Amino acid sequence: MKLQAHGIETDLPPGWEGRIALRNPPTGHTRALGTTGEVPNPVVHLANFALPEDRGDFGSGAVDLMGEQHVLVVLFEYGPECAGTALFRRKGIPTKLTPSMFSGSALQRTLPDQAGCQVFFTAAGRAFCCYAVLGRQAAAARVLPQANATLAATKIGPR
Amino acid sequence: MTVLVVVEGVVIAVLALLVVGLLRSHAEILKRLHDLGAGIEGEPGRSSTISEAHRPGSPGYPLMPQMPSPPDREEFGGAADVVGLSPGGQEQVSVRITGVEHDTIVAFLSSGCITCQKFWDAFRKPRKLGLPSGARLVVVTKGPDEESASAVAGLAPPGIPTVMSSEAYADYDIPGSPYFVYVHGPSGRVRGEGTGPDWDQVSSLLSQATGDADLAATLASHVVPKPDADAEREARVDRELFDAGILPGDPSLLTPPPEHPGHAHG
Repeated sequence: MKLQAHGIETDLPPGWEGRIALRNPPTGHTRALGTTGEVPNPVVHLANFALPEDRGDFGSGAVDLMGEQHVLVVLFEYGPECAGTALFRRKGIPTKLTPSMFSGSALQRTLPDQAGCQVFFTAAGRAFCCYAVLGRQAAAARVLPQANATLAATKIGPR
Repeated sequence: MTVLVVVEGVVIAVLALLVVGLLRSHAEILKRLHDLGAGIEGEPGRSSTISEAHRPGSPGYPLMPQMPSPPDREEFGGAADVVGLSPGGQEQVSVRITGVEHDTIVAFLSSGCITCQKFWDAFRKPRKLGLPSGARLVVVTKGPDEESASAVAGLAPPGIPTVMSSEAYADYDIPGSPYFVYVHGPSGRVRGEGTGPDWDQVSSLLSQATGDADLAATLASHVVPKPDADAEREARVDRELFDAGILPGDPSLLTPPPEHPGHAHG
């Protein structure tokens, strides 16, 4: 199942679904999220479970629904000024996430048994954070190959 | 006297005109009803001119004009995952429907149809929908080239995935809106499809479809196994037939044994 928008494309494996979203810029008169003047960047959510519609950029709302075999991958783009800076010096999408990279303390919101990891990188001159969450840390070895395959099937080009 | 006769004549002429007008109007109404298929039941030459009345598998009478006719096929259509745009058009959405643990009810709606409005309203209160346990509701409209994205954005129920995808209409062979398809997630097969004037009727239809399938599954799990002796006898017969060169489907197995005269079957 292919998904393509805002210079990002992915080919999801069976059982996975995704969203490539770009928030409306907040104007002060609307109820859009964010701060006035902010220029929203694309956010990608990929998961091997049914994604709820009410989700935060880093998966809040979705992580609450995760089961033991579930994994959520977020690709969050930062502004162009971040591309290539020290934090984002890694080049290309990470495709080899390992169990040792995950920790409960890396979660944006700590939930029992869950674990997360963050990898910052630059691709096609765009700065991203790859944030992955495991429904159960002990299941990392089983579910990470799926997540890595999904990341490997994701391409980032110019916006 | 002459004046009276003239006046009477004029009145009669006016009344005659009114009667002719009424008869004509009546004939026009009958003609319209005939076109809609409301002919007299069983009367030759009075069958409906609406195509669904003649389709195999159709109920034989026209459905409500505001409801889409069932597709011209004998089996359920296929199921497919849905890829499209969010109503705001800012989000590319993919919703997995096949090969997942949960079942999905795919609601095909339009922003323009009057009947759909009842469903848009009903979906704003998802807790009152009484969805089957574990089932996920997904709303699909046609793509932005055939639908007003802003109108759909205004109607899209919060918290329920809403995808604009003309491809999904083609994948599911949807005859029109509103239309509903119930997909069994693990197998990816359609368990029921249809439409109705409101959610209560559609919900009842889907419950019936899923109830039938559940009942079949329950019955299958309660099938009493054959006694060992019967199974062994059946295996022995199969083995002896095989040794004699009689394989499954052999014509001799399908020929009834000759009847012996004097042996009447009781």
